Amino acid sequence: MPIARDAASAEFFDGTARGELLLRRCTGCGRISAPQARQCPDCAATEFTPAPASGAATLVSWAVPHDREGRPLTVAALVELAEGPWLRLRLTGVAEPAADLSAGLPLTVSFEAVADGETVPVVSVAREGRHETVDRIPAPQEGPTP
Amino acid sequence: MPDPLSSDSNSPAPPAASATFRANPALSPAVVGLGITEMGKVYGRTAPDFAADAVRRAVADAGLRTADLDGLLINSGVRNDLGLELARDLDLRDLRLLDYLQGYGSSAGAMVSFASLAVSSGLATTVACVFADAPLREGRGTGAAYAARKPPSGFDGLLVDAGLASVNARYALAARRHMTTYGTTSEQLGAVAVAQRGWAVRNPLAQLRTPITLADHQASRMIADPLHLLDCCLVSNGGIAVVVTTAERARDLAQPPVHVKGFAQAHPGYPDAGDSAFGLVSGAARSGPAALAMAGASIEDVDVAELYDCYTFTALLSVEDYGFCAKGEGGAFAESGALGPGGGRTAFNTGGGQLSSYYMWGMTPLSEAVIQARGQGGERQAPRNDLVLVSGNGGVLDHHSTLLLSPHAGS
Repeated sequence: MPIARDAASAEFFDGTARGELLLRRCTGCGRISAPQARQCPDCAATEFTPAPASGAATLVSWAVPHDREGRPLTVAALVELAEGPWLRLRLTGVAEPAADLSAGLPLTVSFEAVADGETVPVVSVAREGRHETVDRIPAPQEGPTP
Repeated sequence: MPDPLSSDSNSPAPPAASATFRANPALSPAVVGLGITEMGKVYGRTAPDFAADAVRRAVADAGLRTADLDGLLINSGVRNDLGLELARDLDLRDLRLLDYLQGYGSSAGAMVSFASLAVSSGLATTVACVFADAPLREGRGTGAAYAARKPPSGFDGLLVDAGLASVNARYALAARRHMTTYGTTSEQLGAVAVAQRGWAVRNPLAQLRTPITLADHQASRMIADPLHLLDCCLVSNGGIAVVVTTAERARDLAQPPVHVKGFAQAHPGYPDAGDSAFGLVSGAARSGPAALAMAGASIEDVDVAELYDCYTFTALLSVEDYGFCAKGEGGAFAESGALGPGGGRTAFNTGGGQLSSYYMWGMTPLSEAVIQARGQGGERQAPRNDLVLVSGNGGVLDHHSTLLLSPHAGS
């Protein structure tokens, strides 16, 4: 389902379009917070500069919502980024019934362009030796969509 | 283990309200009326219809008239279609207290807390607290009742993209974290559902009264793995109200008074970072001890516990957080049969809870607690009812309230 940006998420989705997951670095104390943070949890400052995430993450928890016919719809993941913040993202490339998942599993952030909507960050299970890298896809073309 | 809720920082002092009640026992609060409307798949009536009906029933139950009310506290359900206009619907004049509050499943406990403070301080004498909701529509699935109604945008859109639009999936994330941390199993969650159905079989007010087995639970369709259908509560149309007044006034009314001995709230505000206790510890770990301190009691004194159970997991987590068993051992506690009829020292969710009786947010545990404290539970009446605990839970484990009720005045 395509996602529309709003004022609070415009900078974030500019980032995803470039293949960057932008976190928020507090201008007061330097703590890195989640993209949607409104106030630094350490010092209560409200000014941030964008801080691109490395793309390395670990799995905290996951859920698999099903449709009424009992088919799995997606794997929803609660992940902890290497920089600290938690995000709730779609976990791709996992075969049902997702039995191989475990808490602490290394993950990698990548990006998916969606027709008529913003580019979304997703996670997948990190392959050996690729933990630091971020899978990037070409930024979607600017301009009107068909 | 991250456990900010039980850290020694910001430990709550016993609420000052306890001193007020002890200073003047005549003004101590009591629940004197309970009104439960027709419940379940009842169509053609709005939330305001159900709310007014519930208040009229609660007032009549107490032996009062609606004109005797001088306070009204209102909590609306998921559609947010209940408001201060209810006072006009009930033709209430010269109210001295009228308010709307919203803490989701913790609201019922909060309303009784504020009503108790109001009557014990003289702000009002007779306060109705009401919840009503009518999310079910004829010919539509219950899932649709709580489905998102607008297309996703901004950061909320990412939640939808992740598959977390539904509350079911968000609770599934919480449950999974408990399972991977403490080894809790789906079968142990199922034990909660089976135990509560065992109670519902004995409750004429319950919507689901056919006994179930663990195999039924395991075979029920997956809603959001790890949660099966039988891990999830009902959805109901209906309304429930209670009337709170002073102990002195309660003596002359129609029902045995149910005294309010203690109350507290806790709102953990889980951070979205590694030190979050999300899924592991709920606000009940704070609201429970605070309410017990106000009542001058300990958890071992609780005869009946009516726990919020929007999911089996919520009840299991609450059992741990209140200290009925050790942290992480809720699964084993449920598996032992302690939650079913004849289970143990404390009787749990004696009406069948939201899983099997009816889903009226915090009014589900509160209404059953009032019935048990009055000794009116019939076939499901607990053998002891000197102290009854009511637990509310709202959001995704975000908001908690605890009440302690007793048929006995004094401390």
